[in-house]
Parts: sequence; C-alpha cells; structure tokens
Amino acid sequence: MSYTTRQIGAANTLDYKVFIEQNGVPVSPFHDIPLYANKEKTILNMIVEVPRWTNAKLEISKEQKLNPIIQDTKKGKLRFVRNCFPHHGYIHNYGAFPQTWENPNVSHPETKAVGDNDPLDVCEIGEQVAHVGQVKQVKVLGVMALLDEGETDWKVIVIDVNDPLAPKLNDIEDVDTHLPGLLRATNEWFRIYKIPDGKPENQFAFSGECKNKKYAEAIITECAEAWEKLIKGEIDPKDIDLTNSTLTTTPSYSTSVAEEIPAPSPLAAAPIDKSVDKWFFISGGHH
Amino acid sequence: MNTVKQGTKFTQDFKTYAIENDSGKVVSFFHDIPLQFDPATRTANMVVEVPRWSNAKFEISTSQPGNPIVQDVKKGSVRFVKNLFPFKGYIHNYGAFPQTWEDPTTTHGDLSVVGDNDPLDVCEIGLRVLQTGDVKRVKVLGSLAMIDDGELDWKIIAIDIEDELAGQLKDIPDVEKHCPGLLSSTRRWFRDYKLPDGKPPNVFAHDGIFLSLEKTVQIIQQCSNSWKRLIAGEVTSAKSLPATENVSNSGSPKLIQSFDLVANDYKGEGPIPPEIDKSYYYL
Repeated sequence: MSYTTRQIGAANTLDYKVFIEQNGVPVSPFHDIPLYANKEKTILNMIVEVPRWTNAKLEISKEQKLNPIIQDTKKGKLRFVRNCFPHHGYIHNYGAFPQTWENPNVSHPETKAVGDNDPLDVCEIGEQVAHVGQVKQVKVLGVMALLDEGETDWKVIVIDVNDPLAPKLNDIEDVDTHLPGLLRATNEWFRIYKIPDGKPENQFAFSGECKNKKYAEAIITECAEAWEKLIKGEIDPKDIDLTNSTLTTTPSYSTSVAEEIPAPSPLAAAPIDKSVDKWFFISGGHH
Repeated sequence: MNTVKQGTKFTQDFKTYAIENDSGKVVSFFHDIPLQFDPATRTANMVVEVPRWSNAKFEISTSQPGNPIVQDVKKGSVRFVKNLFPFKGYIHNYGAFPQTWEDPTTTHGDLSVVGDNDPLDVCEIGLRVLQTGDVKRVKVLGSLAMIDDGELDWKIIAIDIEDELAGQLKDIPDVEKHCPGLLSSTRRWFRDYKLPDGKPPNVFAHDGIFLSLEKTVQIIQQCSNSWKRLIAGEVTSAKSLPATENVSNSGSPKLIQSFDLVANDYKGEGPIPPEIDKSYYYL
C-alpha cells in the first residue's frame, strides 16, 4: 500500500493541512487506513503527526472531513510544546494508530479514568526522524498510561520495523537494554511537558511503569473495538467526522468526499516565533 | 558587526567571514573582533560558532587568513557531532572568545598539560538560540577544565547579558539553582560526545569540578596574554601556529591593509546526511 501526503498551505500557519492519500486519492488517516499491516497482526500502521525534535503540536483533526493533520490551537494561536531541559521538542516520532479510539464514555478498570476521545497515541523510538503524515509500519513494544487532566491517554511504545534495532526489540525490557534511559526520559517528558504553560504535573497510572507488549496489545484491541462501534454508528460520534472513502458498509461511507478535498497547494514553512526556542528548567523534573 | 557567507552550507567550501559594519571590510573573528574583557563586570565579547540543538561542528579556522568560521573536516568529510541521548546536538550556544589563545608551547600553571592551540571555548547557556557568526556580550560564570587527547581545552560557562536569566546568574552556584541539571549535563556531554566515533571518554582536571568565577577570570586573562604574545610575533614553536593576519593590531608583524575581497556567493544549505538523526545511548 503506498501512502503519500497532500499539503495545503505553509507549516506553522493556521492554514496548514496535511491530507493522506492512497494511490493519489485522499483517505482518512483516522478511519480508512487499516490498523494492521499484515494478516498476523504483528505489524501495525502508524500515522506520524509530530517528527522528533520539533515543537509544533500537529494532530489528526477529528472534526474536519477526512481528518487532515493540522496544528492544534489555543485561544486562536498555534500551539507549540515547550522545551523542558534537557529535551528539545518531542523526543519521539509521535503520532496515532488509525482505526482506534479512546472511548470517553467508558472508564478503564485499572486506570479508573475514561478515554480522551482521540485515536490511540503512539511514540515511535527508531533512529530516523519521520515526516508529518508519514505512514510507518511498526511493531508494538509496550504502553504507558498517562493520566492527562483526569482522562486516560495511553502512549503505546513502538519501533519502525525497518529500523536497524527492530529485530532486537521484541518487548518492553529490550528497550531498556538497547536504549537505556529512553523509557525514564519518556516518563519524565510526559509528566512535565505542560508545566511551562502553568499546568500541574501529569500523573501516570501503574506508578509510571511501562506495561509490556501483551498488555499493550490488549489496549490496542480494546481501542480498535471502540472505533468499530463508532464507525458502525453504534455510539454517538458527537463532533467526530466519520466520513471515509473506503469502508463501503459504514453509514459514513462517501464516494464523493475525495473530490471535495482541495488540490495540493504546498508552501514553504513559515518561520517559527523565536519564543518557541526558549529552554525551560523544571525543578525536580530532571533526574 | 556583520557576516558574509560563501559557498554551500554543510560542505567544505562554506565560510562565514566577519565584516565591519561601516566599512564593509573583512576582519578576523580570531584577531580583530575585540575581546573587551572587563574584569569588573566580568563581561566579554563572544563569537558564536554552533547554535544550540544543531550538529554541524562549525569553528573559527585558525589556519586560514581572516579566520572565517568553517565546518571542521575529519578524514575528508565535514564533521557533525552525534546526538547523545537525551540531548539533541550541542546543548549550548557554543563558540569562542576572540583575542584569546590556549598556548600549546607552555603547560598551564598547576596542570601538566599544554593548551590546544585554539581560542578559548565558550558555552553560552541562555534560554535563546543564537546564530553562527553572532558576536554577543556575555557574562562569565565559571569554567570546566577538559583534557582532550592530552591537551588542555577550557570550557568557559557564560550567559548573554541580554538573556532573561542573566540578571539572576552571577557564579556557578546560581547556575545550579536556576538551571538544575545543566552543569551535570554539560560535564556528561563533553565527557561522552566522542564515544559514538569510537573514541575514549574525555577527562577533566580538578575532578570535573566547575571552577568559580574568580579562577575563571584568571584563565581568561592568561589566554588573553598568550594571544597578545602570539599576535606580537613573540611565540616561536615547532608546532604550526595559527594564521595571525589582521587589520587592527598595531605592532603586529602580520598587520595588513585589508584581506582580499571576499565574494558574497552564498549558495544556500546542502543536505545534512540522514544518519545525523540517530541518537546514541550510553548508561
């Protein structure tokens, strides 16, 4: 399957949109791209939203038709994550699993918190810096349960199957062996990343422990089932746009939606405000 | 002060020269940009070579007349530092003090090692990212004595006087207080940054302790005096000494009228090899 991107406008502006195309035709990264990339379900598709070491908080728009990737805004302004020493921007290639949904109506039995109403978040830990809208084939290694403002926000840890380290990483303990310090840094990063914006430190369920591959796979299955109910029309989607161009048996299937998507109009990235470069030192955040 | 760039960035033909604002005349980053060290306010001028979070090892060329900033070359390729997890590229705005020199012909006071034949290195720790070729007034805070391949290579810790943190930082303990983790990360970064290239860790004099402001002032004065001997032509050595052509130091044997005109033919950035994205992990 070959996926490409269709860019509208310039990065770091409110106009910027990145649609995903399959063989040149726009599809929804939330609904059309299959979660599993092989029959055995050992390889998954991941949609990259934020390349490592960048700050722009890009995410799949739930509300817009065919769910393009756009930059999140706060009070009408573009949102950038702050640099918390010693980190620069995001420390992973960050993104989401297609065809998954964290159901906000259901409380998880172990975290005791409801889902955050988003596709399942993914942290890809391979050596290459990915690009916005890239569809990567990844293998699952583990999962952390972030509790973000009272909601469960699972972070699944994965590696690109084409990464040189991928054959050596098969479960969460292999990450500590081959990438020592990465899981601790991941924990720290998610705990403190909103502190510069005046928010409290985030908490993790399970005392911050990263659960193993088996646990992660169960969470993915759960979120895939929740999405399935959503796309079949069994749950009120509220603001979520379910329009898709490949799922012929769903009520939101559309044969014409691809034609409504604007033609590509890529522009060079706009300069990022210098204030985004600022480094924040968080007391007690860094070990 | 302004700059003029030549060639394609991230290739061996790329050079950044310092230009005097009024005259448009090329000046040497090493010998003509004044240090203007003021022991009372502990401030001096710094030349920025490498912006924080970048990997290309830009440095003032000591061998080329006019001492442009160029990218260091190792084994025929331009050099990039590797990413040492959790860091991305350099963790400071890195550069040098002009009109200073770590003398390779004498050992340093209590340390039985000679200088590395370069201007004094500076780590600017402000919250902003500075640019290659910037000349900034910085406040000196302390120093770390790194020993690299048997040569003394001081790292002076300083902050841009215009940085929002500058008013709160006067000495090393203030850095620890306001920038928790920065000093230990700095030591670790310099210790380990050559490990990905198969080299041993760097070591430090004084057990890796950051020296106070007082001691650091003396080091800067020593390196300033060494440079004065160098520019006056008073140093002779079997080692190859830096190119000292300059346009502002009266009495210097290498004082010249002007550097040959430098063409303004910047060709933009070349590609950075994708392997520079990789992070290296050490316990």
